Amino acid sequence: MSLPPSVLQAKSPLGDLLDLRAFADVCQSFVELYRVGLKVFDAEGNKLVDVKVGNADFCGYIWTKSAGREQCMATVGRVKNDSLPEEHVQRVFDCFSGCRYIAQPILYEGDSLGRIVFGPFLPEELKALPKELQAISPDFDAKLAEGYAQKIRRASRATAEKIVKHFGDLVEVMVFTGHKALITARLHIEAVQEDYRDLQEKNRQLEDGFARLKELDRLKSNFLATMSHELRTPLTSVIGYSEMMLEGLGGPLTDEQREYLGIIMEKGENLLQLITSILDISKIEAGRVRLILAEADPAQLMRDAVATVLPLARKKGLKVSCEPGELPRIHCDREKLRQCLVNLCQNAVKFTPAGGTISVAASVEPGDRLAIRVQDTGIGIPAEHRERVFDVFYQVDGSSTREYGGAGLGLAIVKSFVEAHAGRVTVADRAGGGTVFTLALPIRPPAGPATTPVAPPVIPPPAAARG
Amino acid sequence: MVQFNPESREITIKVVYYGPALSGKTTNLQALFQKIDPTVRGRLMTLDTKDDRTLFFDMMPVFFKTQSGVKVKLKLYTVPGQVMHESTRRIVLQGTDAVVFVADCRRSETEATLAYWNNMLQNLEANGLDWRTLPIVVQMNKMDLPEARAEADLGDLRALIKPPVVPAVAIRSEGVIETLYALLQLTFRRIDRAVGLHQKWGISEREFLGRVFASVDVSGTKIPHPTEGPAA
Repeated sequence: MSLPPSVLQAKSPLGDLLDLRAFADVCQSFVELYRVGLKVFDAEGNKLVDVKVGNADFCGYIWTKSAGREQCMATVGRVKNDSLPEEHVQRVFDCFSGCRYIAQPILYEGDSLGRIVFGPFLPEELKALPKELQAISPDFDAKLAEGYAQKIRRASRATAEKIVKHFGDLVEVMVFTGHKALITARLHIEAVQEDYRDLQEKNRQLEDGFARLKELDRLKSNFLATMSHELRTPLTSVIGYSEMMLEGLGGPLTDEQREYLGIIMEKGENLLQLITSILDISKIEAGRVRLILAEADPAQLMRDAVATVLPLARKKGLKVSCEPGELPRIHCDREKLRQCLVNLCQNAVKFTPAGGTISVAASVEPGDRLAIRVQDTGIGIPAEHRERVFDVFYQVDGSSTREYGGAGLGLAIVKSFVEAHAGRVTVADRAGGGTVFTLALPIRPPAGPATTPVAPPVIPPPAAARG
Repeated sequence: MVQFNPESREITIKVVYYGPALSGKTTNLQALFQKIDPTVRGRLMTLDTKDDRTLFFDMMPVFFKTQSGVKVKLKLYTVPGQVMHESTRRIVLQGTDAVVFVADCRRSETEATLAYWNNMLQNLEANGLDWRTLPIVVQMNKMDLPEARAEADLGDLRALIKPPVVPAVAIRSEGVIETLYALLQLTFRRIDRAVGLHQKWGISEREFLGRVFASVDVSGTKIPHPTEGPAA
């Protein structure tokens, strides 16, 4: 990788370092002050500035004669093109007409960027116009030429050289200032471009990283779906055959055998339930769950859910109450909603110590919504974990030595199913200890085929969203 | 890499003073500006903000002609040290032929110095420059401060890293010329190896260094006085 060439690496011609219009004004003012013409050329010989004063009639007259024209052009050529040393020295060019030019290189950072040509002026010591001038044409009118020459300034060489040196010093400062301004502006742009390029590069890396994570997440979901299926098949046989043996199909059993088989079946059912949850969540994550909407009685669903957890709750010594009251029928996927309630009730049982109470209640809320609340007097959820308990595989106590088991899927499933119904699930502290989960569902969900949204990702939410 | 123009017989060598914020890069250039004869150097171009922190860079050109008529131009640059000017540092480093790494030698600055050293290596690489072969001199600046590392510590450092280490107090112009001398010596050798400065261009190391330092006020330094060599 390499950066694009910078202005620092480039050589700038004189024309780029000066604002030519402003510079021409300076030259004009200078010429008015000294009444001598001024030309500025860049290193390539391009004329950047040309201000004339006083010599138009004189030179114009010479120019009318062909020999004069030729010699004039020769002088101009020498003044413009003859090499100048790369030093602060001036060179004097005398014209055949008696006029004089002084040229000085414009040096900057050790390089010659061009030249200043001062003139024409008449040397102070010149008594009369040279004889060569008369020779350019037989009809040359010396008197007329003398008259025209009066308009050209006379100056001593020393004075002229001083003036040129002074102008050279001014130009050097202007070039330096111009160069500085040019570099500042260009480097500013280059720095912004470089920052932009840098940011783009970082964005690209982030996008790549994100795409890779998404792909990994997809692979994980696929793996879970496949594995769940593969695990379920043999497990169904384990449970089925245990059941058959319990029913005596394999012959009579002793009490002890019956007890063992009971345990095999119960644990098998637990395992099956867990695998089903994993399958559910992987389907949710793949966005493959469709709701089958129908009229349902929420009170019945609540009672069903409570009935499912009742044996376990009793065993733990918990009081369970279900007060559905008068509720309207609701348009929902009955099986999914039942599972949501079961998951919430199971959690309540799991996290409530002996002697506690679990209650399931419902009410119609404003906005045609039904709120079902599952309350417990359990251990509660610390505020900082509350936002994240709905994340897949999230456990408040994620350590290997934790007290409560589970895969961390129950609430993620609840959230996905409820949101697919255009509902919301929230969690709050129960006054006096414990937790309240509230499902708020529209009694009539919006029309259209509802599918679960893609499940909340496993990556942590931004800091601001955390409890 | 060094710019050659065989047509005009010109060599342009770019030197960059790199280092953490406030380590003394600009001070180095200012000291050199004072010590170098104005006829062989240009103005010191400083692009700074109102609080005297370098915004883009400082730059000073030094130029001379060799006996064989080759024009040599040295362009000395500094980079802005503040962290936020990262992209400018990278741009200024473009095409550099040699680097002076100006380090603040106080113990408290070790971490920042190391971070900038690594940052410089990255930026050199980003410019396609190989820091393993690039002439680099490390200047341990601010040796007069109470918290400074002792000279003996520099010996340890010298044993650890390849680039020569030159102690300095740039604010008093101490070690500044020695740093440039050490760097230009390395630079000459490197360019000579690469393109045959002596063979093809007729410039010897002695003449090269002699020409540069003939225009530098070397009094009070250990640099061999230019008249001692057959430079002219």
